[in-house]
Parts: sequence; structure tokens; C-alpha cells
Amino acid sequence: MQSANGQISPPPLSLLVERRFPLEMNVTLPQIRELYDSGKAGRWNPDRDIDWSGLAADGYDDAVRQAARRTWSRLLWIEATGLTETPALIVRFCMETGREIDPKFFLTVRNTEEAWHIECFDRIAQAFGGRIARPADRGYESVFNRGLYRRVLDSNQSLDSYVAVHAAFEDGLELELCRTWRRHATNLTIAAVLDRVIADKERHAAFGWLYLASRAPHWTAAERQLIATELAAHIHGTELKGYHCPWLAPEHAAAEADADAVTAMAGLGAASRSAEEDTLADYVGNARRRLAEFGVTLPGFETNRMRAF
Amino acid sequence: MALSREMSNEQAFELVQTLLDGPENRFPLTFNSDLPRIRELFHAATRNQWDPKTDVAWDQLDPERYTDEQRYAARLYWSRRAWSEYGAISESPALQVRFGVEQRPSDMQLFFTIRSQEEARHAEVCHAMAERLGGYIDKPVQNLFQGSVATHGVRRAALNAEIPLEGIIAALVCTAEEIAFDVFRHLDDVTRDPVAKQIVRFIMRDESRHCAFGWYFLEAICETLTPEQKKMIEQSVVTMVEKVELNGYHSSWLAPENPASRAEVEADRVTYEAGLGSTIEEAEKPIFIATLQRIRQQMKALGIDLPMFSHAKLGTV
Repeated sequence: MQSANGQISPPPLSLLVERRFPLEMNVTLPQIRELYDSGKAGRWNPDRDIDWSGLAADGYDDAVRQAARRTWSRLLWIEATGLTETPALIVRFCMETGREIDPKFFLTVRNTEEAWHIECFDRIAQAFGGRIARPADRGYESVFNRGLYRRVLDSNQSLDSYVAVHAAFEDGLELELCRTWRRHATNLTIAAVLDRVIADKERHAAFGWLYLASRAPHWTAAERQLIATELAAHIHGTELKGYHCPWLAPEHAAAEADADAVTAMAGLGAASRSAEEDTLADYVGNARRRLAEFGVTLPGFETNRMRAF
Repeated sequence: MALSREMSNEQAFELVQTLLDGPENRFPLTFNSDLPRIRELFHAATRNQWDPKTDVAWDQLDPERYTDEQRYAARLYWSRRAWSEYGAISESPALQVRFGVEQRPSDMQLFFTIRSQEEARHAEVCHAMAERLGGYIDKPVQNLFQGSVATHGVRRAALNAEIPLEGIIAALVCTAEEIAFDVFRHLDDVTRDPVAKQIVRFIMRDESRHCAFGWYFLEAICETLTPEQKKMIEQSVVTMVEKVELNGYHSSWLAPENPASRAEVEADRVTYEAGLGSTIEEAEKPIFIATLQRIRQQMKALGIDLPMFSHAKLGTV
């Protein structure tokens, strides 16, 4: 099917039909229930718990302010994914017979935390001159428009594989990048925001890996291969296209990469290209070892933009 | 097409055209507050979070004070409440997906992130109460009652581009949740057990924001609606009232007469008399009628004319 703007529309969606009863609500994944409980206990309020006076955006020169607003706008574009992806993931867990209650509860907390992150990122971008509504190069937009909400609702998509790619691998990478940005942040408000975000993302990443650990013993060889294939596709089609690290895609994300370099130098919540490269390579190496414990073989990756990893 | 409560009993697949069939196009991305009253609801919810595990005075619950019959009835009542709240854990996110795909004001998406979490808290606390009274029950005791509590079809409607969002919100939020809220307010008056009462109050506090969301939304868009759109909203509300509420989704005494619904009504009566939550037909009927009348008045002010509704136990309302 072709839409008016010439883009190919996907075929009709294959949706699961829910069978609600019997409705298991007792704890079956205690470590994930603990993440849910600690999320509730660690609840915070961006307005009350961040000292916004420390941002002092007016104290930076114009070039730095412009760079910071672009960096934080891009982080906003990434975090906004959760506003449609996480609710779709909750729906999928609810629709699929036999899925546990603990992930459903946990994901509702995750989504609220993503909303708080969005409020913080937006406030920072606004303070540095205003949120930027889209990438400088339209070609970069497709990297963000991944349609994850549709993918996860599609019954042809393996839920375990989806969790492996997006809740374990991708959220884990976001966590490590946040830690890297935090190490380079000197602005007190931005450091405080990143501290909160890191605390939340530690739970988000833990959820993905814990869920995989609970499921992995039951996977077939074909399921393990599917997960490896989808992970590799994600790294080629999303990470190496500059979704998290724009310096990997200078052909369409040069403005964002340049902005990050300036933002990093100013200690405003980014990191140098070399620091991010180390983070990415180290993280993929660690993820490869963890996946191997589940019988999933993640291949090596080569690109002319960074060392093989 | 109006809301439907048709649902297969088997896990199955269905190939459907949904509003998700177009490619994602999130740009230009804005987080301006176009509906500031709804943004404030998000902020109020952020300020007023609670935790069923730590904020409920569970040590004040003494199940031994109650008879076996009372405990069993209350287990059934609180389990049923848990099933109902659980339904919202997927319905609320489905609506949130729609807000995003239709690029509705970001205030709506942000508020619904915490609304879904509140629904999870409600399911958690109701399940915990049933557990403490002797054990959560994971399905209706009699299969016949499943038809009254299984689903009200909002999740499917939320993904159906042919069903206008305005109709879903009018039906789900301004009608079903408004009815639920008034029942909670009544439960606060008649529930004597301190823990049951505390739970009712926590849930009611959240539900007041959920209802406000619906009316704030309708008020914000009502002047832009065509007569045809208002008619569609009316049809959605009528379906929600006739096929869901008057079928016993929230109030078991309204469910069709059969052995299953009679058993549920009896459990409600025992729970009510013990002061452990729930209510009975005689006490709830005037509240239900008054709520329907108030909803009709509020909708009329927005140009939406609801008809009279008939039910054997209510007469014409």
C-alpha cells in the first residue's frame, strides 16, 4: 500500500486477541517485582527535586548555548520514543497469554520516569534557547521514526526478541552513555538531572536483562538465532546510523555531532567522540558476553567510523 | 462504528487495519503545553504518588474480626476490583499510543504515563487486599459472569482509526470513570474497615484526576466538533452505558439475571454488611441514577444530547 506522500505503508497489523482469565497477579518474577517496588520508592519530581537555578544558561556564550539546545533537543527526540513504545510494550505483555504481571507493573513506572526525563530535557533545551523540533538534515529523521510501537504490537514479532533488543541491549547502552555524559558534566543542574536519569535507567536496563534471564532457559535454537539476527539488525540499522551517537553518521547528523562536541567541552551533558566510542565498544563487548550466557551469539561489527567492536 | 465489547474467548490473532498502519512521523516534535489544565493534572499526579506497599496501614487489617463467609465474600469483591483495574493497565497505554500517533497535545501523553501507573497501583492494592483476606481469586467463580467483567473493548477501539478519539474519551472517561468515581465516593461513606476505607480513598483521589482529564479534553475541543462528530460521541457513550455499565461491569446487581450474577450480588451484600467495601443495589441505585443524570447535563452543555436509558432495575433514567 502506498500513502499520499509516496511512502510504503505496512500490511494490516496482526494483533493478538486477549484471553484475560485466569488472571495471574501473584509475583512470579520477584526480581522484576523488586524493580517495580524500588521504582515506586524512588519516585521523584522534576520540579521539586532538581535545583534549576544551577543551570545558569545565560552564563554561557551564544555558540555554547546553541550547541546545548541542539544536544538536549536530540536527547528529547530519543526519550520521546518511550511515549509510544513503552505503552505499546505494556499492551503487548497484556495481550499475550501467559506473560507475567510483574513486567506489566514495572513498565508503567518506567513510562512515568520517561515522562519526567522528557520534562527535564525539554526544560534544559528551552533554557538554552529553545527546543529544536527536528534534525537539521531531514535524512536523519528516519533513524528516529522507527515505528517501534507498531512492531511490538505485531504478533509476528517475538516479544522475547523485542525485549532483548530494545529493553536489554538498547536501554543498557543508553544507561552507559548517560554515565559517560555524567562523568563529563560540570554544570550542577545537568549533573543532578543525569544522576536522576541514571538511577531510573539502571532499573530500565536491569528489567531487560532480568527478563531475558528468566526466559532464556526455554528458548529454542531458532529463537536464539532470531534474537542474534534482530540485535545485529538493530546495531546496523539504528546505532550505526547515529541514533545514539551522531558522530557515527556524519552524512546526515553532522550538525548534531558538532553540537555534541561543543556541549561536551562546556560540561553540559555530552561526551567527546572518543569517550563515546570507548563506551559503545566496551558496552557491546559486555553485552556480547552476557548474551553468550543465554546462548545468543552476537557477531562482530565493522565500520569505517570507529574501531571494530 | 461505536465501541464494541465483542471479544473471543481464545488466544488468537486478528488481521486488522489500525491507525498504526502509516509510517511513524514524529517530527516536528513539540512539548508545548497546549492543554495546560491537563499538564497540571500530570504535575498534581507527580506530587501525589503513593505506594500500596508502604502507604497503606496494612497492620490495621484484622481478618480474624470477620467470619469465614465475610472474608470469602470480600476476597471475591477485592479480586473483582483487581480484574477491573487490571483492564485499565492495557487500555490506558493503548490510548496513549493513539495520542502519540495522532500527534495530540503532549500534555495528554505525559498525563497518561502516570495514569497507567496509577491503574497498576490500584490493581496491586486490590490484589493485596484480597490476599490478606485469604487469597486472591484469579477468575470469576462462575464463567457466566466473565461476560460482565472481561473487557469493555476500549483497547481495540483505541487502535481503530474509524472510532474517533473524542468518542472513546467521552465514553470511557466522562462516563464509565465518572460512574466509578461516584461509586467510590459512596464507598468511602459506607466502608468501615480502616484499611478498606484507606484503599478506597487512595483510589478515589487518583480517579478524580482521571475524570477531570476527560472533561478538560472535551471542553477544549467541543467547539471544533461538527454535528456528525457530536453524534458519534453520543453513540459511543450510549454503547458504553447500555452494553457495559448496564450489563454490570462496575455494579454486579445490574448484570443479567443468572446464577453467576446472583452469587456476585450476594457476595457484594455480605462484603457491604461487614463494612469491607462494596455496596448493594438499594444504596447504589440512587447514586447511579444521579450520576447518569449529571453526565447527561454536562454533555448537554457541550452539545451532546444523551437519550434516556432503560433497565429493569432502574426504570427509565
